[in-house]
Amino acid sequence: MNAPRDATIDLQLTVNGHEAKARVEARLSLCDLLRDSLHLTGTHAGCEHGVCGACTVLLDGQPVRACITLAAACDGRAVTTVEGLSGPLVDRLRAAFHAEHALQCGYCTPGMLVSAVDLLERKPGAEEDEIRRDMSGNLCRCTGYVGIVRAIRSCAQG
Amino acid sequence: MKMADASNAVKGADPRDAQAGHPAYASVGHPVLRPEDERHLHGAGRFVADIAWPGALHLAFVRSPVAHGVVRSVRAPALAPGESFWTAADLQDVARPIVAKLNRPGFQSAPYPCLATDRVRFAGQTIAAVVASSRARAEDLAEQVEVDIEPLPVIASARAAFEADAPLMHEGWSGNHFMKFTRTFGDFEAAVACAEVHLTRRYRMERLAPSPLETRGCLAVFDRAQGRLLFHTCCQRPHIQRDFLAEQLIGIEQHRIQVVVPDVGGAFGVKTNLYPEELALAAISIKLGTAVRWIEDRMEHLLSACQARENDEGVTIHANRDGEILALEAEYLVDGGAYSMLPSTSAVEANMSANVMPGPYRIRNYRATAMSACTNKAPTGPYRGVGRPAACFAMERTLDELAHVLGIEPHELRRRNLIAPDAFPYTSATGLVYDTGDYPPMMDTAVRAMGHGEVRAAQQATAPDARERIGIGYAWYVEQTAHTAKEFFARGSVVLYGFESARIKMDISGSLTIETSVCSHGQGHATTLAQIASEVTSIPMDRISVRAGDTDVVPYGNGTFASRSVVLAGGAVHQACGRLVERLRVIAAHLMQVAPGALTLGAQAVHGPAGTEPLPFARLAQVALQYVHELPDGIEPGLEFMSSYRPPVETGAFSAGVHAAKVAVDIETGAVRLLDYLVVEDCGQTINPMIVDGQVHGGVAQGIGQALLEEIRYDAQGQPGTVTLADYLLPGFGEVPEVRIEHQHTLSPFTAYGMKGTGEGGCIGGPAAIGNAVTDALRGLGVSVTRAPVTARDVWMALQAAGSRAGAGDPPAEPAYTWMPPQ
Repeated sequence: MNAPRDATIDLQLTVNGHEAKARVEARLSLCDLLRDSLHLTGTHAGCEHGVCGACTVLLDGQPVRACITLAAACDGRAVTTVEGLSGPLVDRLRAAFHAEHALQCGYCTPGMLVSAVDLLERKPGAEEDEIRRDMSGNLCRCTGYVGIVRAIRSCAQG
Repeated sequence: MKMADASNAVKGADPRDAQAGHPAYASVGHPVLRPEDERHLHGAGRFVADIAWPGALHLAFVRSPVAHGVVRSVRAPALAPGESFWTAADLQDVARPIVAKLNRPGFQSAPYPCLATDRVRFAGQTIAAVVASSRARAEDLAEQVEVDIEPLPVIASARAAFEADAPLMHEGWSGNHFMKFTRTFGDFEAAVACAEVHLTRRYRMERLAPSPLETRGCLAVFDRAQGRLLFHTCCQRPHIQRDFLAEQLIGIEQHRIQVVVPDVGGAFGVKTNLYPEELALAAISIKLGTAVRWIEDRMEHLLSACQARENDEGVTIHANRDGEILALEAEYLVDGGAYSMLPSTSAVEANMSANVMPGPYRIRNYRATAMSACTNKAPTGPYRGVGRPAACFAMERTLDELAHVLGIEPHELRRRNLIAPDAFPYTSATGLVYDTGDYPPMMDTAVRAMGHGEVRAAQQATAPDARERIGIGYAWYVEQTAHTAKEFFARGSVVLYGFESARIKMDISGSLTIETSVCSHGQGHATTLAQIASEVTSIPMDRISVRAGDTDVVPYGNGTFASRSVVLAGGAVHQACGRLVERLRVIAAHLMQVAPGALTLGAQAVHGPAGTEPLPFARLAQVALQYVHELPDGIEPGLEFMSSYRPPVETGAFSAGVHAAKVAVDIETGAVRLLDYLVVEDCGQTINPMIVDGQVHGGVAQGIGQALLEEIRYDAQGQPGTVTLADYLLPGFGEVPEVRIEHQHTLSPFTAYGMKGTGEGGCIGGPAAIGNAVTDALRGLGVSVTRAPVTARDVWMALQAAGSRAGAGDPPAEPAYTWMPPQ
């Protein structure tokens, strides 16, 4: 597909349970759509090429990098950002991140939470090694990961 | 979701202070959970890129594609209405070039323009700027700008800078150095003559990028009606940034500039500088009379934000056969990049290394040569640890070499040279005054906790043809913290960071607001400063809020860097709260008609003699703020107390630490695996041990990055090879093991509660401890670590070169380091 640079696309998607409509450039990233058009600034851009994980969101329940996901690819789909995370598991994770000092500057935290929710939904009894492997797509420059691992482990069953 | 009692929750009593024989406090010394967390856990933190500003335009820079050249022409793109294009000539009547200075003999300054005037001196230097309605549009336009650059020969290393045919980097300089000096301390020659052993080694610590996850960024809003510039930025020191902007911008003084710093997503020193990008943005906002935003992307960050280290070191230890160090000689050759950053300059790394090299050891005779070369690379400046990780790497690696030569256990060699506990206050050979310390027990703790004897036994039991070898290594450092004006003056710093301030406001309900001059980028000041206020006043944490990061709101001060905030800002809070409490006593004494000395304080009330009703703070605040007719004669209404804390000793409180690493090295692949990592640290009285542990854990992660992964690479043409986080490798979940921490509490005699700073220590010891452990593992195979990072490829190549075993075929691709065992 060779859409011209200024081609626009009309989108309809669900973001955090609410219908959203947007007319976007074909090249617009989901991250920019969320932050600039929908004012959901909890999704943070750290590297803008899919390495650091700070922009991780759920797309139809699967974690994706919002910085390298085209907004145009999200038509008709459901996006959950850190602002829309809810439920008992999320509540426990938030409390555990707080209790275990799993954040310092807070910049990586939204992406960490989204990835952690995904991890524990897939592997409710994750051990430390699994947590470290499955979370390895998210970088933190402040904490040395100790508190994050402890927090996620404390929310795993068994 | 509501956090369960978030702001005041305590994880459990911390018995350590009582064990150490120190007084137990109600709030200080407890691992109080952070009120800062809740907003971040809901995505409601507000970073500079999150600030909505209707109508704000977006700026993108045009950067030099080459490392060195003369800019012949810059052609503007085709602009639509409302878009604009800027070069140096457009800004010269608004912004002066940045000139970083150091008041030291021989220091050479040069202008660093916000947009290049004639020459570009590193790939990534700003040449022009484009302003448009979106960042994407601005980037499109920046791509269309045609730049004609005539290339010049490139200086791609510190050594090349000093070659006879090297081009002169800056006009009027006497050579390509920011600064170079040799200083001798003590009776150096005589001590060398007495020594029985002379050991020389060379090391290199590679160039690093501090790499906070949030890049740089700012939003400048010039309000023509008010003639005021509102400058949102992510920096570590709001008032200093305002001072710098006022100095650089033509025609606008401090009182018309407001710097606002929202949440900062990590900084580690990289956000202490005034950058050309920030100055250009402010200047363009003033010229346009509108709001303009620049949010850096990661490539820009790795091209042009302050980098650090790249320190080539030569060390000679002169010792006697018992391992006593009689004299020390060290040479530091730092690649400082193309320009000095304001204000720390490109000489900060070499100068600091030279200053701190003797560390915790009794070394009286010392000669240091520090050279900071000017090259065609990104500018350098402060990064967590500044000078100390490289000094520690060179010193501690060489101590292990000496121990090996003399047949002494490395920890025993160190013990023989540590400053004795009764020698404090101790003045180092270079004139640093260590307030207190108790080092030998820390060495004992490390040796015991690491199971040193068991490691040696396991090494003995290792088969001669074993593929995996284990090793153990130690590294010491001392960390000067909370030093103030006289100390910075002695270093030649132009800015003297002499104090921090706090304004304490009690409102009519008896709750408190603290306005602080320091500026957190994750350190948890809203928690620790409130703990100190709570300790002094008895007001619970959830009734205290902390404000920072707005020069129109908070009192003047210097900000957060150099491990200083808890001591200096905490000292200011302590002092200001003391004044508040004194005022409350005076009012209470008057109302009760008793002497102030008969009163005690507790549970948010002033208590009189037995049988009298205590007076709650809310009642006293009501008198001070509303029922002022009840005030005693001569007492002013109001309950705001401002205090600027300048410590009685300006040379700083000295924290110390010893790091210990146990590694396994696979001699087929060269891969290094961290089996254990221990930190024994002493930062006096801790205000919040949870936050101290967090600083240690985070620092160690950065130390492990330096030791095993991180390296900014340039080729011979000065082209950067590490411009994404896929090239410049930050340690992740798999690379940082759970670090163990042991604490010791040797109080400072002059700070409130005896506290000392601790922000940087964690990242100082890693390269040395891990380098020593890898070397220890490979003893007998002819391999020793001389470079940080030590990659699997390095180890493999060294094993091959030494004729020791290493797998056949090609060397492993970098990086091959992982802490995780194979799946």
